[in-house]
Amino acid sequence: MMTHHAGSLKIRDVSKSYSVEGRSFPVLSHVDLDVEPGDFVSIVGPSGCGKSTLLRLAVGLDTTYKGEILLDGRRIVGPGLDRGIVFQDHRLLPWLTLKGNIALSLENSGWSAAEKEKAVREHIALVGLEGFEHAYPHQLSGGMAQRAAIARGLVGRPEILLLDEPLGALDALTRARLQEELLRIWRAEGVTMILVTHDVEEAIYLSDRIVVMHAHPGRIAQTIAVDLPRPRDRASHAFADLKRRILADMEAAPALAAA
Amino acid sequence: MSQVAAPGEAILAASASPFWSNRFGRFFDRSNAIGLILPLIILSLWQASSSLGWIQPVFLPSPLATAEAFWVMLTRQNLHWDFLVSISIVGQAFLYGSALAIVLGVAAGLSRNVERFLGPTFDSIRHIPGIAWLPLIVLWLGIGAPAKVVVIAKSVFFPVFLNTLQGIRNVDKSHVELGAVLTLTRWQLVRKVILPSAVPSIMVSLRYSAGLAWALVVVAEGLSGLEGIGFLIFRAQGLLLTDQLLVCMVIIGLVGFGIDRLMYLAQRRVLRWKQGFEG
Repeated sequence: MMTHHAGSLKIRDVSKSYSVEGRSFPVLSHVDLDVEPGDFVSIVGPSGCGKSTLLRLAVGLDTTYKGEILLDGRRIVGPGLDRGIVFQDHRLLPWLTLKGNIALSLENSGWSAAEKEKAVREHIALVGLEGFEHAYPHQLSGGMAQRAAIARGLVGRPEILLLDEPLGALDALTRARLQEELLRIWRAEGVTMILVTHDVEEAIYLSDRIVVMHAHPGRIAQTIAVDLPRPRDRASHAFADLKRRILADMEAAPALAAA
Repeated sequence: MSQVAAPGEAILAASASPFWSNRFGRFFDRSNAIGLILPLIILSLWQASSSLGWIQPVFLPSPLATAEAFWVMLTRQNLHWDFLVSISIVGQAFLYGSALAIVLGVAAGLSRNVERFLGPTFDSIRHIPGIAWLPLIVLWLGIGAPAKVVVIAKSVFFPVFLNTLQGIRNVDKSHVELGAVLTLTRWQLVRKVILPSAVPSIMVSLRYSAGLAWALVVVAEGLSGLEGIGFLIFRAQGLLLTDQLLVCMVIIGLVGFGIDRLMYLAQRRVLRWKQGFEG
């Protein structure tokens, strides 16, 4: 399988506010973050801390912000095939088969039909869904649908895969399985991954670095390197210590400061 | 259980089995027999009412007499010709009305300007019943088929137009956002996301208006013209040929049922991707 070219993401002093009924509410304030090629970075924080907003800015769905977001040194001005995204809801189109949904990513890839066909086949295999090419989304379980969404995010060989709480809606067992899958896929594809999650344990299990955010306004409080050897043991002391520390960092937020 | 997934753990609710053989087979199978009970009861009551002399034959001929009348109409009075006249008017009206409705509905759904341009006119025309148009259209086009086609097409048009427009407007925002992420062009978005999401509501309106068209042809033929099932039914009333009147009513009912079933099967076929259509 061809490997992806891993991209670097630089977020430079990004601020963003929404205006509601003429009043302006800051959602992100002076956010700085560097993600190196091939990194697995997780962003955790309480709801309302702007972690999903940050991801939307990186995808290019929203370009009204202050500061700069650079992918490999180029400013992001809109959505692009150099970035893949997996949403919390699988967001497969119900009228397309699994294959059709994944191929939709390649509409504007400029590849030949044979290249597209090959890439779709490889990525269906990558997420372990061979045999379901012609199934419709309603025929898939939640876990299978999310695998398909991951395949769709990766099939265009993006430099970065952005994951917006992709496992948040799954049961514990399926979630644990897909965490393993994500690690395997990350290694196999060598793609940069940025994961937004509210699950600290998931963040520790998967990432090289964890970004802790605080709310009101959304900002980065801490960036913590995870140097535990892989595969990581969730029951180990080091794991539990790190989890306690990150949870404490999250708690430390003066939650009502802006209220 | 639908949440558990691993490679090979398949939950395929409906396999891609051959559609037609499957569906038609199922239509006549045992579980549908329950739907035949009520018609049989009605038929026996009908028979009883004439055998036991509850109602005079001139007001309600027996089922047997009705069947005989059917045979006479078919062999000596070219009933099939009148039937073909009616069904061809309905077919043309449905085709023209719904095709135009889908085209304009899509255009209005995609563009607020088109909607604003058409809106006031359509909302006024819509409230003049098709039958109220008939006298004027007959003055223009005569009492033949074209006037009826136009009037019925008008009645088919509006439900389909409004449902197409609404279906397009109801496209899931998150799907449109997905289209943006995948850098789909406007045309790709329309073709791959917006139109398919409107298909369920278009199909519902097509099924509804097909039935409506069949009902209206009877009225239109009763009001003008000298052929068709609708003409026969009013002529039968005038001549007190109650048996022929009943033949026409039964045909109208059965054909209406057939049209609805066909539209239902078409709907299932087109919407096989939709959950809850395994039936």
